[in-house]
Amino acid sequence: MVTLVSYIIVSAALLGIGVYGLSVKRNAMRILFAIEIIVNAANLNFAAFTRYLNPPQVSGQVIVFYSIAAAAMEAAVGLALILVAFRLNNTIDVRKLNKLKG
Amino acid sequence: MALIDIPPDLTFVALAAVTIIGAILALQARELIYGAVALAISFIGVAGFFVSLDAPYLAMLQIAIYVGAIVVLILFTIMLVRREVGEEAKDSPQSGEGSVGLWLAGLLSLAISGVAALAGPNMPSTLPSGSLPVSELGPTLATQYPIPLIILALLMSATLIGALVLAKVER
Repeated sequence: MVTLVSYIIVSAALLGIGVYGLSVKRNAMRILFAIEIIVNAANLNFAAFTRYLNPPQVSGQVIVFYSIAAAAMEAAVGLALILVAFRLNNTIDVRKLNKLKG
Repeated sequence: MALIDIPPDLTFVALAAVTIIGAILALQARELIYGAVALAISFIGVAGFFVSLDAPYLAMLQIAIYVGAIVVLILFTIMLVRREVGEEAKDSPQSGEGSVGLWLAGLLSLAISGVAALAGPNMPSTLPSGSLPVSELGPTLATQYPIPLIILALLMSATLIGALVLAKVER
């Protein structure tokens, strides 16, 4: 039986995977992957909640629309930042990018 | 309605497995390129969820933007950044770090799932009758949320210029 709770559980699992990647991974690309996974978990929740409203409303889908567009922009800027960091430091290991550390 | 009569539970479990296993592989795959492909598969799983939630437009957007644009951009960047194959091996976490992250992530998702399961009886369990026509999304965007749409367009052009300026090579 598929209910709203099942969607929330899948979304929570995706969020957990993303938080694990954010806190453990050292490669900047993997951290970007983790961010994308977390954004997907949020989008899934919005779509599920708006479908289970009675009567169903389209406003949650509008939010997911904006969220997907924002995620695309975030990925473009993030990848450009990774390219610049690689060019300046020859590494994308975030533990080694510590020039600003006081 | 559907061409083939697949029980919805089976569809849900299959989609959940594809999405979650894809997400885990995206972070744990040895090579960054395999990780990007696994990420694309996970995104396709989420697109399947959107289809099952009566949001075919979102599924189309998900495949066009996430799989078509973001993953391809990631692949390009991997090819620009990667120098040697051995560099990937250093991605494994140091001792202690990994288990702390695992505990954090596990507790977070268990807490959210637990709260959702506790609140389950108060939440709608069956799909409300009636569906969301795709044609409703456009008018809602244009009439109820016009200002965010304009801000989104401005933000998009600013992002495009910003990414170009950042990635430009000084000669």
